[in-house]
Amino acid sequence: MTAEQRLQQDMLQAHEHEDLEALPGLYLQAAQLRESQRDIDAACFFYTHAYVYALDCGDREIAGEARSRLKGYGRDK
Amino acid sequence: MTVLDQEMIANVLRPIEAAKGLPNAFYTDPDVHEAEKRVLFAATWACMGFAKDVPNRGDANPVTFLGQPLLVVRGEDDEVRVFQNVCRHRGMILVSEKTTLRSTIRCPYHSWCYNFNGSLRTTPHVGGPGKNLHECVNREELGLIEVRSHIFMDTIFINLDGQAPAFEKHAAKLLEQWKEFADKPLYHGGASSSFTLEVNCNWKLAVENYCESYHLPWIHPGLNSYSRLEDHYHIMQPGNYSGQGTVVYNPKLDETGRAFANFDDLSAKWDTGAEYISFYPNVLFGVHRDHFYAIMLDPQGNGKTIERVEIYYTSPEMCGGDMADLREKNAGMWEDIFIEDIFVVEGMQRGRSASLYDGGKFSPVMDPPTHLFHEWVAARFAGK
Repeated sequence: MTAEQRLQQDMLQAHEHEDLEALPGLYLQAAQLRESQRDIDAACFFYTHAYVYALDCGDREIAGEARSRLKGYGRDK
Repeated sequence: MTVLDQEMIANVLRPIEAAKGLPNAFYTDPDVHEAEKRVLFAATWACMGFAKDVPNRGDANPVTFLGQPLLVVRGEDDEVRVFQNVCRHRGMILVSEKTTLRSTIRCPYHSWCYNFNGSLRTTPHVGGPGKNLHECVNREELGLIEVRSHIFMDTIFINLDGQAPAFEKHAAKLLEQWKEFADKPLYHGGASSSFTLEVNCNWKLAVENYCESYHLPWIHPGLNSYSRLEDHYHIMQPGNYSGQGTVVYNPKLDETGRAFANFDDLSAKWDTGAEYISFYPNVLFGVHRDHFYAIMLDPQGNGKTIERVEIYYTSPEMCGGDMADLREKNAGMWEDIFIEDIFVVEGMQRGRSASLYDGGKFSPVMDPPTHLFHEWVAARFAGK
């Protein structure tokens, strides 16, 4: 199993178990992975989810990081 | 749509000596009830809940009031706001259960996120995957729809149509009448000081029964020993509220002499005085030197009303464990009294199906507070 596949599995499990605290970090990792692959649309998709779930569970650090990346790419404000 | 008999409404507006009460349709006709939502509730300041239900920042309490989905939120700035509980995107209900939100109000459908002050924070993928902006989606214009609200003695009032005078102006007479209480902090007595009664009557009958003392010796004979009919006086503020006061308030909840502490700096009037006011349209208040209560009347159609009772005290100490038994006794006493009223208001509701009943005859001496309420209803329907 590749790192990406493992991440995908962790995300699915977190959703299945409604582990809301885990979601922001997992989506942030997915975003950073895609960003490292220069797939900016996919990265912003995952940054968006990291941002929303971080807002939802009050994770200011990840919310700030994800928003900052989205703003940098002109995808949010 | 029912056409209300204008002559019957005019009869209500006559001086009490010649007036009749509101016609049956006001208690039984679904069309009139729908009209009341607009004329008596949306256009004025109606009670929709209590601030004590959202004690902490981020607390969110969804409330359905007169069929409207509303959301009460305590913001980061400690302000309590009332919103329509719908996302500006597809009208999805935002919050379905009472909860404490961490830092956003997130729509469970497409995850549009709002700040606690209602402003729209982000719109995920609105411009396509990973693109949260679109030139046609102006976040500044798409905040939650806030309903005008005001908190008075922990009671949340809303003005749904946004056109009523400011609450301070609307309630100026009450604020003056109860100026000794209005700015005092209130402390809710906890679970035992909160109860709900479901009553099979139109909400107006609960208002009417509450604002007069005429029925006390017959329906609440337990009060006769210390609070006789002649110890009461009418409270009358046309177009606003009516009720009754007593001059012999003297609670004895405990044989050993324990009692609740009084509010600070009250004038001598309140040593033995207490007042009970129906504040139109739908909240019933009671003030005493040592406690306050509010009853929200939540109409559930024509023939059913939920009465939500909340009792408050004068200090955190009065709400502690040492006073728990006294609070329970006090709440129990009020609950017993309010339960004694149920057969009356339910009987009057059933009576409103008597097709030849003409609205009834008022006692010019004992019924002025009731007539004042009928007059307010009739005047609003007559466009006055």
